[in-house]
Amino acid sequence: MKILNTSGNTQEAATEKGFDLSRRRFFQLAGGITGAGLVLSACRTTPPSTTYVGTGDAGLLNMMYIVEQVQAGFYTQAVATPYYGITTSESLCFVDLRDQAIAHREYLLALLGTNAAKAIVLNLSLAIFADRTSTLANAYGLADLAVGGYNGAARLLSDTDFIHAFSKIVTVQARRSAYMRDTLNYNSFADNSAVDSNGLDLATEPASVMAGIEQYIQTKFDISKLPSF
Amino acid sequence: MNFKNILREIEKSDAEVYERLSGRRQVLKSFGSKVAVAALPLAIGSLFKKAYGKTADANGVVNALNLALEMEYFEYNFYHTANSLPDLIPPSSAYPSGNDKAGFLTIEAQEKAHILLLNTVITTLGGVPFTPKNYSATALNPLYVPSAYDFTGGGTYSSVFNDYPTFLIMAQVFEDTGIHAYQGQIPSLWSNTSVLGQAFQIQSTEGRHAAHVRLIRRQPPISAAENPAPWITNNIPPTVALQSYYVGEENTLQIGGTDISTLPDAYSSTGKVPLLSATAAFDEGMDTATILSLIQPFLL
Repeated sequence: MKILNTSGNTQEAATEKGFDLSRRRFFQLAGGITGAGLVLSACRTTPPSTTYVGTGDAGLLNMMYIVEQVQAGFYTQAVATPYYGITTSESLCFVDLRDQAIAHREYLLALLGTNAAKAIVLNLSLAIFADRTSTLANAYGLADLAVGGYNGAARLLSDTDFIHAFSKIVTVQARRSAYMRDTLNYNSFADNSAVDSNGLDLATEPASVMAGIEQYIQTKFDISKLPSF
Repeated sequence: MNFKNILREIEKSDAEVYERLSGRRQVLKSFGSKVAVAALPLAIGSLFKKAYGKTADANGVVNALNLALEMEYFEYNFYHTANSLPDLIPPSSAYPSGNDKAGFLTIEAQEKAHILLLNTVITTLGGVPFTPKNYSATALNPLYVPSAYDFTGGGTYSSVFNDYPTFLIMAQVFEDTGIHAYQGQIPSLWSNTSVLGQAFQIQSTEGRHAAHVRLIRRQPPISAAENPAPWITNNIPPTVALQSYYVGEENTLQIGGTDISTLPDAYSSTGKVPLLSATAAFDEGMDTATILSLIQPFLL
C-alpha cells in the first residue's frame, strides 16, 4: 500500500529540505502526524486512465502546478508562433512571461517533490495563436484562472510556507492578467469580471479551477480528494 | 510530567487559564484516564495552541490590517486628489488623445472599497480601525483627508499633480509599495483563514493596479526611460532617488530554499531561468517599519 500525496508526506519532504522548525511548524508537524492515521484508513485506488491530483496541501499545489504547466506551454507556443501584428514591446513581454511561467512550474515541482502529479499532455487548440484577440483572451483567461486558484487555495492550505509562496506568486499573476486585459481592451485591467464591488479579486473553488484548466489538457484528472471551500 | 502542575504554574501568571480552556473541560478530564502517556505532549500542545494561539494572534491580525488600511487611505487620497484635477490625467491639454481617466477612476473606487472593507473587518475583530491625521467622521467625505498628506514629499516631487509623467512615477511607486506592504503582513494573518483569503484578494487587485500604471509608463506617449514591464524586474526603480522602494525585489531565493535562477528553462540561452524573469515571477514583502519609513515623507 503506497500513500500518495498526503499532507504529512509533504511536510516531511519540506522538513528534509531544511525549512526552519519554528514553534508554528512544530504544531503543523504535530497535526500532520496526528492526521496520518486517518490517511492510512482512507487509502484508495486510482483508476489508471486518470491522473490523481492528490489531497490536502499536495492537491492544491498540484492544481497550481497543472495551471502553471499550461501557462508555460501556452507562452512557449505564443512566442514560437507570434500573432500577426505583435509589437516589439509585446514580444519582449511574452518571452519574459514564458520564462516566468517556467519558473513557477519548476518552483511548484520543487515544492511538491515526490508528491507531484504525473506528467500531463497539453491540448492548446482552444487558442488560435496566429490571432491577436484569441491569444490575448486565452492569456488573460489563464491568468485569471491562476489568480482565482492561488487566492482560493490561500484559505485551504495548512502549511504556512505554501501560503507564503502562493502569496508571492498571485500578485504577479494579477499583474499578468491586467497586462493581457489592457493589451486586448484598454482599461479593463480590473473590471467587474475580475474585481467585485468590495475591491476583491477572484478566489475560485479548486474544482472550478480544474474545470477551467482541463479545457487546455488532454489528460483526465481525478480531483475527488481535492479540498473545497 | 504532571499536567495539573503545569496548569497550576500557568495559573500563577495567567489567572484566567481555566477560563481560556473552558469548553475543553471534558478534554482536560480525559487526560486523567483515557489518553496514552506518549500522546500527552502533542495533545497538550494542541490544546494550548487553540487557547493562546488565537488570542495572541488577534492583535497581530488587527495590526496587520491597520497597516493595510493606512496604505489604502494613502492611495485613495492620492488618486482622489488626482482625479479631481481637471487637467492632469488624460484626456488633458498635454495628452489630448489619451484615455486614462476611466482607469484611474476604477483604481480610486477600488481603493475606497478596500478602506470600507478593512474598516468592517477590523471592527468585527474587535479592533480600532486606523484613521489618518485630522480625520473627521462628520466631514462631507470622511475618507478624503487632504490635510494628512503631502504627496510632493516636502517639495521633492513638486509637480506630482501638475505633470502627468511625474504623477505616474509616484502612482507606480505607491502601488508597488502597497503590494510590498500586503506581502509583508501575510505571515501575521494566517491564524485567521477568512481574513487571510480576503487579504490575498485585495493584494492581487493591487497587483492589477500596479501593472496598469506600469503599462501606461511603458507605452507611448510616456515611454519611460527604464522601460518598465507591468511586473517588477530586478529592483529597478523609476528614478534612482526612489531605489529604496524596490530594495529586496532583486531576490531569487524563495520560500523553501529554492533559488529560482537555478531552475531549468530549456528556452533560455543558459538553460536556467533568466535572472530578470526569476526576480519578476515573485513579488516581495517589506516589514511594517520599512513601509512606514517609505510613506513618511508624504505624511504631514
